[in-house]
Amino acid sequence: MDGIFLQQLVNGLTLGSVYGLIAIGYTMVYGIIGMINFAHGEVYMISAYLAAISLALLAYFGIESFPLLILGTLLFTVFVTGVYGWVIERVAYKPLRNSTRLAPLISAIGISLILQNYVQISQGARQQGVPTLLEGAMKFDIGTGFVQITYTKLFILLAAFVGMGLLTYIIKYTKLGRMCRATQQDRKMASILGINTDRVISYVFIIGAVMAALAGVLITMNYGTFDFYAGFIIGIKAFTAAVLGGIGSLPGAMLGGIILGISESLFSGLVNSDYKDVFSFSLLVLILIFRPQGLLGRPHVAKV
Amino acid sequence: MSQTFYRKGFLALAVATALGASSFVQADLKIGVAGPMTGANAAFGEQYMKGAQAAADEINAKGGVNGEKIVLVAGDDACEPKQAVAVANRLADQDKVAAVVGHFCSSSTIPASEVYDEAGIIAITPGSTNPQVTERGLSAMFRMCGRDDQQGIVAGDYIVDVLKGKKVAVLHDKDTYGQGLADATKAQLTKRGVAPVLYEGLTRGEKDFSAVVTKIRSVGADVVYFGGLHPEAGPLVRQLREQGLTDVKFMSDDGIVTDELVTTAGGAKYVDGVLMTFGADPRMLPDSKAVVDAFRAKGTEPEGYTLYSYASIQALAAAFTGAKSNKGADAAAWLKANPVQTVMGKKEWDKKGDLKVSDYVVYQWDKDGKYHQLEKQK
Amino acid sequence: MSAANKPLDIKKSAVDAILAGLISLIVFGPIVGVVLDGYSFNLQPARVGWLVAIVMLGRFCLSLFLQTPKGLKILQGFESTSSGVHVLAPDYKSRLRWIIPVLIVIAIVFPFFANKYLLTVVILGLIYVLLGLGLNIVVGLAGLLDLGYVAFYAIGAYGLALGYQYLGLGFWTVLPLAAIAAALAGCILGFPVLRMHGDYLAIVTLGFGEIIRLVLNNWLSFTGGPNGMPVPSPTFFGLEFGRRAKDGGVPFHEFFGLEYNANIKFLFIYIVLFLVVLLVLYIKHRLTRMPVGRAWEALREDEIACRAMGLNHVLVKLSAFTLGASTAGLAGVFFASYQGFVNPSSFTFFESALILAIVVLGGMGSTVGVVIAAFVLTVAPELLRSFSEYRVLLFGVLMVLMMIWRPRGLIRISRVGVTPRKGALAYERKAP
Repeated sequence: MDGIFLQQLVNGLTLGSVYGLIAIGYTMVYGIIGMINFAHGEVYMISAYLAAISLALLAYFGIESFPLLILGTLLFTVFVTGVYGWVIERVAYKPLRNSTRLAPLISAIGISLILQNYVQISQGARQQGVPTLLEGAMKFDIGTGFVQITYTKLFILLAAFVGMGLLTYIIKYTKLGRMCRATQQDRKMASILGINTDRVISYVFIIGAVMAALAGVLITMNYGTFDFYAGFIIGIKAFTAAVLGGIGSLPGAMLGGIILGISESLFSGLVNSDYKDVFSFSLLVLILIFRPQGLLGRPHVAKV
Repeated sequence: MSQTFYRKGFLALAVATALGASSFVQADLKIGVAGPMTGANAAFGEQYMKGAQAAADEINAKGGVNGEKIVLVAGDDACEPKQAVAVANRLADQDKVAAVVGHFCSSSTIPASEVYDEAGIIAITPGSTNPQVTERGLSAMFRMCGRDDQQGIVAGDYIVDVLKGKKVAVLHDKDTYGQGLADATKAQLTKRGVAPVLYEGLTRGEKDFSAVVTKIRSVGADVVYFGGLHPEAGPLVRQLREQGLTDVKFMSDDGIVTDELVTTAGGAKYVDGVLMTFGADPRMLPDSKAVVDAFRAKGTEPEGYTLYSYASIQALAAAFTGAKSNKGADAAAWLKANPVQTVMGKKEWDKKGDLKVSDYVVYQWDKDGKYHQLEKQK
Repeated sequence: MSAANKPLDIKKSAVDAILAGLISLIVFGPIVGVVLDGYSFNLQPARVGWLVAIVMLGRFCLSLFLQTPKGLKILQGFESTSSGVHVLAPDYKSRLRWIIPVLIVIAIVFPFFANKYLLTVVILGLIYVLLGLGLNIVVGLAGLLDLGYVAFYAIGAYGLALGYQYLGLGFWTVLPLAAIAAALAGCILGFPVLRMHGDYLAIVTLGFGEIIRLVLNNWLSFTGGPNGMPVPSPTFFGLEFGRRAKDGGVPFHEFFGLEYNANIKFLFIYIVLFLVVLLVLYIKHRLTRMPVGRAWEALREDEIACRAMGLNHVLVKLSAFTLGASTAGLAGVFFASYQGFVNPSSFTFFESALILAIVVLGGMGSTVGVVIAAFVLTVAPELLRSFSEYRVLLFGVLMVLMMIWRPRGLIRISRVGVTPRKGALAYERKAP
């Protein structure tokens, strides 16, 4: 039984780290302009398509070594998805910067409909996929059972943590990070101090999109399949993860993602997979009732 | 390229319908083709449209039905019951269709058929296999395919007799179609004394089934039966293999009958050995050869439900011609009394509107990502 | 602004257009130009070319237009923050005095001309009006972001289906019961949650909506799971509208000696629904003028100030939440009997988003706006049906454009100012 339990933990951890990567986009945007970017799941979906397209193109040009393929795909996907993030912010949210809190939310829902259907029309409604890049798996024997982890999953865990580490470094120690944090704390004050807050907001959208692109490449590698509707469920899950960990907090997003992934995996493993989403949403409601700011969030203090 | 071909055809069709509606309404026999033209299952809507259009073209070339040309009207339900009802009402009232080929998802067909029944329109579904479609006493609801309970019996028997399954895990996608099938299979397995050791649902649209796969591993299942569609079946079988369950047999249903299964599973390697139940492949029948060749000449493969849709139009045309009337009730009465020679062979319907002979057989996917009909087992 | 007099800077516009073209090439290039086909692809450069050309042309025209005086004015509009409520002069007579009776007359005359399809579209529209009005109380007036509003709608719809199945209840019994049940559910959910900061409410309600849908979907033995449940037609004093009445009863058309017409059932739903909508409109109209309605709006504008003034914010929010929920319950009952069948796929998150879009597009808090938006958003997809695959795309574009053009919604909330009565406190209320 212990092999099975450990296997479930590993399943949850990989699923959760992916949730965490996407949750970063939600949490950063929320932190900086207090808006729930509902189109973020769709940005991830776009990046999955881009990853598949780039893999197909690279294969066409005869590149077959794994490091080159993955590097090329990552660079291409991250770049184009970043541009998507920037364009979406520019077109749909920037004109609404000064209007009601709900206006960008509706505009985000509109954007997510647009992206879904634009991809469906241009790529067709069929299921898309990529061939398996990394074959093989690692097998650990533990007591009575065993834990099997594919190399792809190991790669996901590694890449997710490297991505997170890099982002944490950027936010904590670089000039861009300081500007982001300043804008998050007080946008007006930051602009008085000479920070171009509009540009910082754009950067935040791009960073969010880049993390979603990283997640897109990893998920596409792992599951090998996606469609134009793929952004919806994972978007909601990632958003839940962001709130669970305390929206606005980077480590919170990662922690929330992992907790969500593990709880889903353990619940469906030990109890019943029919009710795993009911369980994770109930968990969220419970945590929010007792700790309204989320696990790692700062309590909301209203200023008068 | 089939995508663009279809799209152009579709646009031309939309234009033709618009023109037809305005100029020569009287001389046409309108038939609605309803199914998921958008949304996650749009691939099947495309197959419907492709098959129906080809059949209508051929019948029109031969002079049409009772001297009238068949004009198709597309209706998109996106597999949502609410949209299905709206589309059904539009087809019935606005477009005044005489018959409908549709819908695809059973959860759409059921509410929509109520609308057709009230309006006295004959409907024939190429793909809705839920028993409830014809079990509600509607007089003009037919199907071109088998029923889930028939399919479940075939699957259950095969698991017990051929695969000699001892510990069977039954999974489904929590939708009308998949769960109905899983229930039917579970019932047959229980009847044969092999009660499933695991019976659970997956969430449609998700791709991570590793938790369920680990659970399958923990109960030590030797056969996995999945009731659902290919977007979930592909990742499921791949993750089974990736967690080291390489010799567990995987069996599914006619919801995975599309080449996309290979894409969703991440390569032909993973679908190797996957079993499924499906009506005897209409493309293999001698009756369908000419039609299949015509499709291939145009560069499209009449896969999945294409020929079912083709045959549905043929059956409707035959019924209207045979009854010498364009009334749904007359056509329905005729169809229940007379057999029809279709592209899928000779078909006969019983009082409920089900096919008299269900021809579910077991297919197997090979390592090249193609499926073949297995020899009938004794 | 002196810029208004400057000649148009065509060079700047051209640069803008080229930049936009480059970006759209990056954005559209891969997705539109490289169509995946299994693990290989087909190139479709022509489509990209067209799209990029359209974007460049559009950007060029936009850039030119924004340099004209009119364009500058629009540009400035984005910079300014306008306040939420527009106050009118005390003696202001609204044009609505004329519009509302005209609308009512149209609504009464309409069924005589409509076929069944039109009738069903309008019924659907009215159901969304009801939903929009309910959510408008929660989001528009009280400022509580509810992303799981569809849960209460589902409670109403399933209330009818389950009530019929297990208790033999009919349309008329369930109609008030569903409102009460939904209100109760709103109360139970709202009480712990409403203490939280606004944005957490959004996610908790979203979670609640998903929980309700999943339970309906998974509890096969009770709710029929994804197969859904049949719903009885409404009855008119025990007379049924079907072609054949069940259990040997007399159908409506035979009782009145009419010819059978499938429209009658929908006509009946339409009439009852219309009356309910009028009632809800009236209640809402009165509520906004009562202390509790004023408290909702005050709370929306500034919660801290309200609490300092001694308002019990939890109770005030709860009342709005509950009222909104009960309206959704009503709408659910109508939806179920309109469709004759319920299953969980009608109650997804997209539905909540659509209702929210109605409220926001209509202008938060504005009743007329909500009515118009509900019809636009439900009828537009039907009208766009002939565009088939582009339908939802256009719908999305419409949503974004509307938000950019009118971020405060179609119709801004306005209040008629108050004139002090004679002998009352002699102070002049100034419009802010």
